Amino acid sequence: MGKMYEVSNKYHEYKDYTREFTEVGRSIPRLDGAAKVTGKVQYTDDLVLPRMAYGKILRSPHAHAIIKSIDFSEALKLDGVYDVITGADCPIPYGIVPHNANEHALAVGKVRNWGEGVAAVAARDEATAEKALELIKVEYEVLEAIVDPRESLKRDDLRIHEDAPNNIAYEGVQVYGEPEKALEESDYVLEQEYYSSYVNHAFIEPQSAIADFDNNTGQLHLYATCQVPHYTHQQLSKVMELPMNKIRITVPLIGGGFGGKGVASQADFCSAILSRKIGRPVKITYERSEVFATNNGRHPCYMKFKMGFDKNGKITAVDFNNIMDGGAYAGWGIVVLFYTASMVHIPYMVPNVRFEGKRVYTNKPTCGAHRGLGGVQPRFAMEQMLDQAAAHFGMSPYEIRKLNAAESGYTAKSMMYVPHTEYKKCLDEVVQRSGYLEKHGKLPYGKGIGLSGGYYISGTSYTLYLSYKPHTVATIKIDEENGATVFCGATDIGQGVDTVMAQMAAETLGIKTEDVKVIPRDTQISTFDLGTFASRLTFATGWAIRKAAEKVNAELFPVAASMLQCRGEEIAVKDGMFYSIYEKKKKHVPWSDVVTMYIESNGPLTCTGQFTPPRRKGIQQGGNIGHSPTFGFSAQIAEVDVDLETGKVNVLKITEAGDCGQPINPMSVEGQVHGSIQMGMGQALYEEMKIAPDGKFINPSLHDYKLPTSMDMPEIDATIVEAFDPSAPYGGKESGEGPIQPTAPAIFNAVYDAIGVRFTEMPLTPEKVLNAIKANKAK
Amino acid sequence: MNILNEFEYYAPKTKSEALELVKSLGSSAKVLAGGTDLIIMMKEKMIKPEAIIDISNLDELKGIVCKDGQGAEIGACTTIAEIEFSKDLEKKYSALTYAAGELGSNQVRVMATIGGNCCHSSPAAETPTPLSALGAKVVISGLAGERELPMEDFIQGNRKNDLQPGEIVSKFILPEPAKKSACRYGYIGLRNAMEIDAVNMAVNITLEDDGTKIKDVKLVMGSVSPRPLVSELIPGLLKGTELTEELIVKAGEAAQSEAKPITDVRASAEYRRDVVGALARRLVKEAYEAAKEA
Repeated sequence: MGKMYEVSNKYHEYKDYTREFTEVGRSIPRLDGAAKVTGKVQYTDDLVLPRMAYGKILRSPHAHAIIKSIDFSEALKLDGVYDVITGADCPIPYGIVPHNANEHALAVGKVRNWGEGVAAVAARDEATAEKALELIKVEYEVLEAIVDPRESLKRDDLRIHEDAPNNIAYEGVQVYGEPEKALEESDYVLEQEYYSSYVNHAFIEPQSAIADFDNNTGQLHLYATCQVPHYTHQQLSKVMELPMNKIRITVPLIGGGFGGKGVASQADFCSAILSRKIGRPVKITYERSEVFATNNGRHPCYMKFKMGFDKNGKITAVDFNNIMDGGAYAGWGIVVLFYTASMVHIPYMVPNVRFEGKRVYTNKPTCGAHRGLGGVQPRFAMEQMLDQAAAHFGMSPYEIRKLNAAESGYTAKSMMYVPHTEYKKCLDEVVQRSGYLEKHGKLPYGKGIGLSGGYYISGTSYTLYLSYKPHTVATIKIDEENGATVFCGATDIGQGVDTVMAQMAAETLGIKTEDVKVIPRDTQISTFDLGTFASRLTFATGWAIRKAAEKVNAELFPVAASMLQCRGEEIAVKDGMFYSIYEKKKKHVPWSDVVTMYIESNGPLTCTGQFTPPRRKGIQQGGNIGHSPTFGFSAQIAEVDVDLETGKVNVLKITEAGDCGQPINPMSVEGQVHGSIQMGMGQALYEEMKIAPDGKFINPSLHDYKLPTSMDMPEIDATIVEAFDPSAPYGGKESGEGPIQPTAPAIFNAVYDAIGVRFTEMPLTPEKVLNAIKANKAK
Repeated sequence: MNILNEFEYYAPKTKSEALELVKSLGSSAKVLAGGTDLIIMMKEKMIKPEAIIDISNLDELKGIVCKDGQGAEIGACTTIAEIEFSKDLEKKYSALTYAAGELGSNQVRVMATIGGNCCHSSPAAETPTPLSALGAKVVISGLAGERELPMEDFIQGNRKNDLQPGEIVSKFILPEPAKKSACRYGYIGLRNAMEIDAVNMAVNITLEDDGTKIKDVKLVMGSVSPRPLVSELIPGLLKGTELTEELIVKAGEAAQSEAKPITDVRASAEYRRDVVGALARRLVKEAYEAAKEA
């Protein structure tokens, strides 16, 4: 315990580390990039095991129905079918939040959304498995479906879950300060309702799992597309009734996650249960329609906001009422609900806050974690309200944001502490680079420019179950055969953490990034990591790697010093060379020679470092959710050209400036920013999962679910402002989720600037825009 | 789902072999030219043909022949990509090559064929609209011989056309563009690529020798009726006139009044009608300006 305590609090001292780097800050292409684009490396669905069977899941055509009976006798008779399972084979519920677990690998008794799995088949090939699905007869008693959470709340007579009165999954109230009084005393109060839409991550690689249960050892080996192997591990243990040490999870390369692969997939469970039954490895890979049917995408929110300002335009209070459409099951719901609450407190100083939220069940595919979760929705509202308030006060939207922006060292009312922010610098940078002040309000009708800001957590302070253990452990092995090898369970889902970990290890070890090997995650080989979410990896793995590498250095430096015959303090290491800082030319020795010398006299060298996030005192009312060691910031400016005859919003340019602290890999940061803008723009203008009133999914394919293509992308001018977070390892924070926050509101603010209409619902389709233009003309 | 139903696969080596097969197998068979629509329909189990007649390797049905002053012939199994990148076609029929380049994705365009695009007879198809505006004829082959139909008469409804049992489309004949004429194609969709059009349209304008008065005009709309819709009002409105802003507005209104759009997952009927006006105004103007330069 002593050690953990030490680690968890030590970095608060902000030890004065060097800010001069050789490996950190290098724009290195992904170490596995070439292998990925040439098809050399394998994703889960590429893997084939000996004697492997292929699994398929039969899915419900109804959104809400009681399963009267399932008859799979005909399917079993089909040549090549090994076995069929149903809800009866998986009675134990699971869920990412343990105390709200209400999902099953296959529906038990009732289906609650279109596409919910009701049976699964294992067969010798995919075609046979699919044929077998057609032979399974399911008798349903179809129930009325509810697809709008506001309707759900009124329908206690039609409970989607028996134990959820009024279909409320969770509700919460948070009051900080005296919001009611503050609003009463405000000089200006804005009140507005907003709706944020129902979107999916649309990662390229569908979920896939191969379960290989060994009947001799009782050991389950799962290869799966999971971005949070630890929580999948726990849930598999529960559902399979196996101790965790009998389950091994290997995560091959992942083709995008964005939060959607943060929950265990039904493919994981069904393949495992089938494999145990038939004694063969079983692979299940989702179709795109199954990706949509199991969703876990962004929660649509019906939001009512009140925002108060004093006579100078300073925010006095925010009152936020949020009804969240959770879909059929619990998932990450409670976490997302309280994230939406916490997101109100930064990046602007809000002295009084009231939040009231409900996460409500509907008969739709479950909502969950989606890049920038809980932030995108309230940011969409608040950043538009700031523009409206600025207009009221006769200020520029830039000025009102600068006036209210928090600075480093700020403690929000919720006790969230911001150790470092360059948010104001981000605002300055985008305004200056885009010529915002010269353009805003001055462009011809149809053309507009819009500003928005945003932030996101860079790490999480809490686990989903009560635990005080380190959140990340990194082990560095030094030997003559491999040089430096990093073991860490952090999952690369395409965001590039493998490369970033190699860079950070190389930085402290004083060698080249290209010479560091990172062992891909495998719960049996890697050291512990909590998972890929909350933009926590650079920060968490950074500290763990730094601690481990410093321990390595503590062993190698004395050896190098004696080899160079100088004092220990005189030694430095860089570019694979130990040298005397006074006589570099004369006194230097290759890093590998020092390793050889060390091992010859001491034997093997392996060091472990760990990271435990700091916890703050006095956090109440569920406000711990959303707390983070530090935060990343982004400001964006969108320039749009609205086609006045068709209503199409053409985004011409996005200017972005981000505070990610010290970028570990600027090229990777830029990739995250571009991807975030694409995703934010997709939700703002293009994407929407369409559900019919009876709960049927209208567009569960990438043919009809419209992602913006490369041809739709605007010019992007992304910059990283000079920043260094002294509380962060190597000064670096997140860049994966902050930059999506401002995109949608920047576009909406730009459309307002273009045509003078304030839209409050996503997506902003050409039809809505054209109707508004027509209504304007009619006036 | 990915699994196709079981079917007999035929790959005839000649056109006459293909015609024999089409005749003998009748409606139990489907003809595969590029397969970019057919295979998807089979994967989605919308159809379960007992036989597939793959004509994609028949050289007799492929190729682009452009002759000076004598129009062009395009084989039914010519891929959309070949049309998109044909320099010869682009010189005379840029509306068609542009429309071809806007169909689906790169991957689809190298597989899909112009014959398939027309025979699938989707109201939102890209090529029938410009083909019709350009006055193209569809050549239909059967064992008994060949017959020709204007493009707009060939397609008869949503996934319905004039093909009789035992027939396939073998080629398209495009007349030589008139002097002082230009054709322009445009579409409205949510995205700038890989889009299923909410509306598409082609306008072909021929000017009098004076280079200002409109001698002839054909405006064809796609995706606003079950088949390519040739405007009946536009010629009456524009023939013999010099195009003015007022006439452009009227042309938009005329097209809107004729369009019979429906509401579907892509757009509402009302929105489609709105943008038909916008497209008509733009394309009439563009084609007129281009004809002046021709």
